[in-house]
Amino acid sequence: MVRSNTSALGIIFPNSYDALVPDLVNVRLMASIPFASRYRLIDFILSSMTHCDINNISVMVNNNYHSLMDHLDSGREWDLVRKNGGLHIFPPFMEKSAKPYVGRVGALSNILDFLRDEKEKYVVITDTNIVVNFDFDDMIRAHIESGADVTIAYNEQELPESFLKSQANDLGYYYTFGLEKGRIRKIYVNAKDAGVQNVSMNMFVVERELLIDMINTAFVRGQEYFERDVLLPQLDKLNVQAYKYEGYIARICDMKSYFDENMKLLDDYNLDALFSGGPIYTKIRDDNPTRYIEGAKVQNVMVADGCVIEGEVENSILFRGVRVAKGAKVRNCILMQDTVVEAGANVEYLVMDKNVTITAGKDMKGTSTYPVYIGKFQVV
Amino acid sequence: MAKEMIAMLLAGGQGSRLYALTEKLAKPAVPFGGKYRIIDFPLSNCVNSGIDTVGILTQYQPLVLNEYIGNGQPWDLDRLYGGVHVLPPYQKASGSDWYKGTANAIYQNISFIERYDPQYVIILSGDQICKQDYSDFLKFHKEKNAEFSVAVMEVPWEEASRFGLMVADKDDRITEFQEKPKNPKSNLASMGIYIFNWDILRKYLEEDEADANSENDFGNNIIPNLLKDNRRMYAYHFNGYWKDVGTISSLWEANMEILDPEHSGINLFDEDWKIYSRNSGMTGHKVSAGGVVENSMITDGCRIKGEVKHSILFAGVRVEEGAVIEDAVVMGGTVIKAGATVKHCIVAENVTIGENAVVGAMPTEEENGVATVGAGVTIGDNAKVGPKAMVNKNVGGGEEEW
Repeated sequence: MVRSNTSALGIIFPNSYDALVPDLVNVRLMASIPFASRYRLIDFILSSMTHCDINNISVMVNNNYHSLMDHLDSGREWDLVRKNGGLHIFPPFMEKSAKPYVGRVGALSNILDFLRDEKEKYVVITDTNIVVNFDFDDMIRAHIESGADVTIAYNEQELPESFLKSQANDLGYYYTFGLEKGRIRKIYVNAKDAGVQNVSMNMFVVERELLIDMINTAFVRGQEYFERDVLLPQLDKLNVQAYKYEGYIARICDMKSYFDENMKLLDDYNLDALFSGGPIYTKIRDDNPTRYIEGAKVQNVMVADGCVIEGEVENSILFRGVRVAKGAKVRNCILMQDTVVEAGANVEYLVMDKNVTITAGKDMKGTSTYPVYIGKFQVV
Repeated sequence: MAKEMIAMLLAGGQGSRLYALTEKLAKPAVPFGGKYRIIDFPLSNCVNSGIDTVGILTQYQPLVLNEYIGNGQPWDLDRLYGGVHVLPPYQKASGSDWYKGTANAIYQNISFIERYDPQYVIILSGDQICKQDYSDFLKFHKEKNAEFSVAVMEVPWEEASRFGLMVADKDDRITEFQEKPKNPKSNLASMGIYIFNWDILRKYLEEDEADANSENDFGNNIIPNLLKDNRRMYAYHFNGYWKDVGTISSLWEANMEILDPEHSGINLFDEDWKIYSRNSGMTGHKVSAGGVVENSMITDGCRIKGEVKHSILFAGVRVEEGAVIEDAVVMGGTVIKAGATVKHCIVAENVTIGENAVVGAMPTEEENGVATVGAGVTIGDNAKVGPKAMVNKNVGGGEEEW
């Protein structure tokens, strides 16, 4: 049974901001980027949703989504195998002139029939490049109490460097808000302001019926972007409220922030802050526990199951099934699933994608300001 | 639709020799190897051997086991037809009975087995650590055109009298069965794993039930009766890793052996024969600056700030600064506070070991006991738990328990 008055369905845009991390999304999309030793970015949003009884979740995949389909499978790990609701994956509907989604308006117009048939009163819309353990219940409560038409979550922070640096608008749109007593009076698109801003988290709560109306109208007018084309021109007419999020947040905006946000979790304080809410679910791999063999030496590391460590590892994040052979040295690295560092190799400031092998005796180094990325399946 | 072979897993044992560990849970549910429970081994063996229907016979403290098994999904045993079923004793129109013995447990579930109309039934035991391909065993059973086969291990002759022994001829046909004999005629120990032709098993279960003097036990009754009738009985030689973990010391030893897969023969890193389990869902484990981990197995959720040597830590164990852990098995959720020493012991789930407390000791010539601390126990600051102790109640600060 769907709770009549407060229940919400979720819509996730897994490809948003892919352009910010071109290396990492070469073989995948934003939502399936590995994070924090055993998760993918989407796990945080999905788990947050299911903890808040949002059990009817649509994922609007656009391109490069095989890895995500593999990860999500039937949705069982997130308890999303449901008779009512559950997990839906909506790729673009391929007609004669197949077109990928451009903005949210086009994507949502594709599933209007689905939205009309659902029972939930509210819709929660998010991207996946933000890592949070988010309380959607609280946001929906705030939405209801304020009587808003649309509520958007934001946090106070300086604009990420990669946003400020980009000259053109080819990396996509980001939004900052001008607020008046919690109501959004101004939406700034791709602003370059210095200092702490109200930066949109691109998470929305809106009534399902209203969303359907808005999308219908916008689609007819050929509009593409929900914030820029639909909300921005109507800020006087629509009551658009801002929901301030003050919990732990990690924004993936480029390779550097991806690296830094992983490394931050080596601090127990940050790790506890991110994982203090409900547990974060992910795909189960049934690895055995990690084995430390005689000669292993580790300091300040986060390590998932299934690793075999014989060498030295320091200030690093190791995903499942990583091998560090005898005499190898790993410092300040992110080693994704099933990577291998062979005997005597010496690596520093690397982001090694899945199944990368560093052969015996090799030296390879990036720097703290420019971690070097090595693509999936590469052998160095 | 008939199944070729289904498995019946005997999981009712109390495991009284594990005492402090099995107060609240059945032996098959005892945690093992960092992220498993004992029952994960036979269940994973079943799935990996192509058996998709398993009846689990429970009786003693089944709560933890029931919840753990759930719908069987972690072992891929959530099936439309078949899958895993927990089978406790139940009430019948003509009264009800506890399971009186291993054979009676199967007898009371004849109707369960009949639903699948199997040709063969494999009887498994829920208290062994073993990676075994049951399909190979079945192949042997068919090749010998056997009516009953038992998996056997060669054991050293001097230890043979501790086991149930199968005396077999050159063709592996069993001619005699000796239960813990003084003068062993064979060194082939029964592993307690049997394959029966279902029609034969059914016949002997029914006859056994009719015999008022029977103990309703496979080893004491069913197998001798088969022998008496000169049935086609064969011994299947198994030479992989096998360990009965019925005692604290054997459980501890088996845990330690997975730290040395190169020599012990129990390799959990085998991609072709995975052991499945229900996962903790915790985040990756962490070793802080200043923490030391040597020759150990560590799983998700652990936070290590102290020293861990030659030990196995289950999910979510916390080791604070200055704590030293050596040769220890520490189960899930346990917290070991600063300066505590935990050696040569088994610490069960959700235990708190206070600051500077001492649990267990490295073995000496006179004393090589494995100290055991039961689930949920709190050991106070500066308390001492001796190497022979089995603790299932809180130990106050500064107190000693030997």
